[in-house]
Amino acid sequence: MSILCSDLAKVYEGGKTGWPALRGVSFEIKSGEFVAVTGPSGCGKSTLLNIIGLLDEPSGGRYEFNGRDIVSMSDQERSQARLEKIGFVFQAFHLLNRLSALENVCLPMLYAGMDSHEMKTRAASLLHKVGLKGKERKTPLELSGGERQRVAIARALANAPELILADEPTGNLDTVSSREIVDMLFALNAEGLTVVMVTHDKEIAARAGRNIKLRDGRLEP
Amino acid sequence: MRALVNALKTGFSEIWAHKMRSVLSFLAIAAGSVVFIDAFSAIFSTYARLEEQKTVSGMARLKITQNYSQTYSSPDDYVPPPVITYDDVLKLREKMPDFYMISPEVKDWHNVLEYDGRRMVTNITGVSHEWVKRDFVYKLKGRFIDRHDMDHKLRVCVMVRKSAPPPTNIFFKSMMKKWNFTSGFDTLIEHNDLLGKKVKLDDFTFTVIGVLEELPFSRRPNPILGSSQDYKVLAPVTTLAHYNIIGSYQSLDVKVDTGDERGFDEAQRKIRNFLKIRFGDDEYFVLENQLELIKERIGDSIKSSLVTISLGMLAFLAGGIGIMNVTLATVFARTREIGIRRAIGAGRGDIMLQFIVEAVMLGLIGGVLGSAVGYLWGIPVKVMIGMDPSHIKPWMPLVSVFIAVLTAFVFAIYPAWVAAGLKPADALRAE
Repeated sequence: MSILCSDLAKVYEGGKTGWPALRGVSFEIKSGEFVAVTGPSGCGKSTLLNIIGLLDEPSGGRYEFNGRDIVSMSDQERSQARLEKIGFVFQAFHLLNRLSALENVCLPMLYAGMDSHEMKTRAASLLHKVGLKGKERKTPLELSGGERQRVAIARALANAPELILADEPTGNLDTVSSREIVDMLFALNAEGLTVVMVTHDKEIAARAGRNIKLRDGRLEP
Repeated sequence: MRALVNALKTGFSEIWAHKMRSVLSFLAIAAGSVVFIDAFSAIFSTYARLEEQKTVSGMARLKITQNYSQTYSSPDDYVPPPVITYDDVLKLREKMPDFYMISPEVKDWHNVLEYDGRRMVTNITGVSHEWVKRDFVYKLKGRFIDRHDMDHKLRVCVMVRKSAPPPTNIFFKSMMKKWNFTSGFDTLIEHNDLLGKKVKLDDFTFTVIGVLEELPFSRRPNPILGSSQDYKVLAPVTTLAHYNIIGSYQSLDVKVDTGDERGFDEAQRKIRNFLKIRFGDDEYFVLENQLELIKERIGDSIKSSLVTISLGMLAFLAGGIGIMNVTLATVFARTREIGIRRAIGAGRGDIMLQFIVEAVMLGLIGGVLGSAVGYLWGIPVKVMIGMDPSHIKPWMPLVSVFIAVLTAFVFAIYPAWVAAGLKPADALRAE
């Protein structure tokens, strides 16, 4: 797993000149790192995470994911990379409320074409791992915020990714749940997963092995 | 395959979650299916009736009748027009030996039939032995009038026994009961085996040589021109004329089947010629061209079916647009979901498949529902209210469901393409 950004820029459309979110960001993330992306609101943290996660394309610069320039990747290849290599954890959980916790965790495996029985077993064991044993049948609406985020983490782990991208995963949680979720992410990192987390929390940032500080779309020295 | 199952599951739960919206969106498709089945069964029933016309009634048909619309400048100018007698019919037969049928027919009303001390009013139809050649929708017991009866003016007759009205026809049944349409004659025939018995018709003793039983309603052919004449007693036209049961002023109607559609115009010309030579003027008689009538009726029913089909297609179109609208609305309502699915690895194809499957399910439900209604209307309901059941072939519901599904599919492509084209990051940001 490797991420290489050089002179990354992103301009959102709007107004005459557009609205620049990133103005030349360069860094490298190596396998097994825990990187905290920090900075004030609107500095481009989420944009950066979206680009790293292949959800968005940079307007300029170069981004290599696992040694491949993403400009050369087709939409299908990017989807495949998201499916197999990347797990997302969002601030707003982004679970499908219609589905049960188990079905939410199954979803990525379903897209990967996994066998039904194997899929359910794995989903159940992942939910067990994040401490939600016995709540497999509950829908997200029946779960607390902390529990929802655990489901989201289990879903992110479904296809055994190499990279976890967490966009302020504790933003909507109380202190206790926040701590649990963050501990869980650190534990995953200890197991060898690369974690990139956007956060406001200085304490968490301090725990991370490495910080990327952004201000007005640029890296802060 | 798994993606398809997943899409089906998602689609079902989405449709179930928005029942009202779904029902409204497939209603037009269902209407299209109903109309489609109705129109196609109408076309098929026309062709079925055409076949029956060919086998039972014949195509190259015409009818010679007296011209009742001749005008005279004053009552003093009136001279009784010439009448067609059986001799004229024999002459025509002699001139046109190739014709399949030349059947004279004359009807007399309000005759008195007496049997076993009971008297009742009936009607008598004078016919010849050729009567059986066409429109024979009966089962014969005994024998029919033959050449010998005709030539010797024998006092023989054939009785017609009515079949029961369609058993499920509630309306007809209640009308029969209320207005007592069943005559004494029908009751007599129904409850007495008159074959071989002697009856009195207008005080002349006749022998019943045959009984014609009408086929039950369900098995009776239904040709284009129909064959629903109210026959009760049939007797040789020669006998009736001989005993003055039919007046000498009564002209015979002559039903002709020339036997061949190709020579039909020529046959008509020949008949006109014959009438002109025999009566001095062919204006005394009218030649009803029934082939033309048959063609007209077929044309009319095909035309009306085509109109119905185009209405059905319009309904399908409206249904398709409805489904497109709903799918598009669904795409916008579920933009964030699309974003989530894309983030966890769904490709464009997966998203497209999901929305197309959902729309196709709507089309399928609409098509199946419409076909079911079309079938129920076409057979059980129509029979219940006493209409002829539609000729619904097994493939018709299948085709109409297929069209419904195809319509939904075609109209879902654009919304699904819109959904698949959303950028994951933008979709995730959607409210």
